[in-house]
Amino acid sequence: MRHFTFSWGTNYIAVRGLLKALGQDLATPPAINTSIIEQGIHAAHPFLCFSGKLVLGQLHEQIRQGEQRMVFMSSLGPEACRCADTSEYMTSLFGPECPGFSSHRIGGDGVGSALENLRSHFGQQVRKSQCVRAYAMFFGKVDVLDKIAKSCTRMRCLSSGPSLVQALETEALSRTDRADSLFALWRTSRWLDRAIAKLPRRSRLPALRIGVVGGEHILSELGTIMQKLRHLADQGILLDWRGGFRQLARADERRLAPLKRSCSTYLQEPASTSEIFSCAHALDFIHEGYDGLLHVYAFGCMPQTSLKPILQRIAQDSHIPLLSLAIGERFTEEGLDNRLEAFVDLLSLRKNTDRESPNE
Amino acid sequence: MMIGIPRSLLHLEFNGTLARYLQALDIPTMLSPATDRGIFRLGKRLVLDELCLPIKVFMGHMAWLAEQSVDRILIPVIVAHENNRVFPCHMRTRLADMAIALGVCTKERILSPAFRFTASGLARDGFDVLAHSLGVSAQESAAALLTASTREVKAVPTGTHGSGNLTLAILGHRYVVEDSWINGFIIDKLRGLGCSVHTQCLPAESGYCPDGTGLHFDLAARTLTMARIWDLDHSIDGIIFLLPFNCGPDGDIARHMVETTNKPIMTLVLDEHQSSAGMLTRLEAFVDLLAAESMAQGAPFL
Repeated sequence: MRHFTFSWGTNYIAVRGLLKALGQDLATPPAINTSIIEQGIHAAHPFLCFSGKLVLGQLHEQIRQGEQRMVFMSSLGPEACRCADTSEYMTSLFGPECPGFSSHRIGGDGVGSALENLRSHFGQQVRKSQCVRAYAMFFGKVDVLDKIAKSCTRMRCLSSGPSLVQALETEALSRTDRADSLFALWRTSRWLDRAIAKLPRRSRLPALRIGVVGGEHILSELGTIMQKLRHLADQGILLDWRGGFRQLARADERRLAPLKRSCSTYLQEPASTSEIFSCAHALDFIHEGYDGLLHVYAFGCMPQTSLKPILQRIAQDSHIPLLSLAIGERFTEEGLDNRLEAFVDLLSLRKNTDRESPNE
Repeated sequence: MMIGIPRSLLHLEFNGTLARYLQALDIPTMLSPATDRGIFRLGKRLVLDELCLPIKVFMGHMAWLAEQSVDRILIPVIVAHENNRVFPCHMRTRLADMAIALGVCTKERILSPAFRFTASGLARDGFDVLAHSLGVSAQESAAALLTASTREVKAVPTGTHGSGNLTLAILGHRYVVEDSWINGFIIDKLRGLGCSVHTQCLPAESGYCPDGTGLHFDLAARTLTMARIWDLDHSIDGIIFLLPFNCGPDGDIARHMVETTNKPIMTLVLDEHQSSAGMLTRLEAFVDLLAAESMAQGAPFL
């Protein structure tokens, strides 16, 4: 049986891996374009964050094409955002116009609730062993997808063959999607390592290093919104981001505890996972001597908007340039280009000045 | 030691419980004055445009208090409901951090104990933490909490205002409904149009954590529950839903709520640019519509 969901960049591949392990399938979500954004704006309340509008646009388009059985991964608890309300919300939005529409959360907080959620959608015949295997595939694919995104962005800066990197990324995504066992995934990961090692290198070191923090959805949209930022890597600028869907999916108290400690000066409990990641990673980038910080988030994103003044304070305290980019339905590529150009010029100027007068 | 309390957000949301608690402990308190344009401008200068209107107002109250001779400013951090299934929006949990980051006042000057809430108000453990930080014993704290709760029952300021033929219910967050500047003096305007105005009495009606909505955010759950209650109340002729600019939780449910409410309902989005004349025109139109409907059913409006 075929299901549908929203993309979150390439992470639908991991959801498809989970469903295939259960003998099900997932439609490939439509790529984000003007039509998808328009449909999202039409379906959503104006105060919904831009990420939410992208999600609604993708779902609306798939319903228009005849899809009915929606599945989604989301967390509950203090780290969750509006996605926690998704099931009721989606049904209220799409139920009246699509009589066969169903919406189920298949994520869980531990094996017990994950199994319960899977059974609510696929029936009581789902066994615990199937659930464990499905989630092993899901997390395995999430890890490989994260590795592809970050290592390929890095290589766009370090390699002298950007077109080779792009081809490598496409092939790696395809192999990950096709992988039907953990062994196949492991082989894909090894293949990626070897292929990256063979790429030709630039002779010069990166001109600048920029740390990127922000909303996980926007940071996952490599083919659309993040594409613009990744062009910076083509100019020899090292872009590094440590948050993303993988970190959200794997977040637990043990992993979050050291991050919480590192940002406790600026962030009190209770903080959402997204806020903790952005704040702690920004501090890490500063300690590691990065030249600037980029804060990228969806307009209307509640955790990231409330974090923005805190990141501004961190940047002021550390004397590091920060550019906050709120991506909304009115953002234009030209406007984004101009802002990024100005930011890079500022960082370059600052770096050259520091180099010329190191004692000041 | 004098403790400042912003007359905004959490003070209004929890019906002044914290101020009464401190007064019961004989700790001097200073409430910031009622919101006006001056207070708002203080906040507006400090915060980002993207933040919701009540946060801008709150920061104005904070900035006002920071200039006064108060030793500490109380900004409780609202964590979650005791059942850990319903949560406040991110903005309301980040108030203290934002105030510090924006340079409104220093970290040392802020008192920010964490509170969970129950169906009837703030949970006791938060008061214990606050008492400890103030050097108050657990027994004194328990007695003060009892006094504050008793006074709360006597001092519910909401209910029905006026005695017009049409009764309109004002739906929205308590810190919007009770802050006349934020809501554009809507209660006075409606009474001027000859209407009775009904506002929510917490916790008697929806409570702080209503069951059955399946929603994640506490405020959205309360709003939706009140809409459901008032939709079945025959004494209410229409509902006016006050939606502050860029409020995520209520924005998400706005369309669903309006579409599933049988009574006439009007949504008023509140922001700092609203004009009094524009709001009055919309209110007049809504009241005229309800009056016409009422007359068609044989009940004279005036």
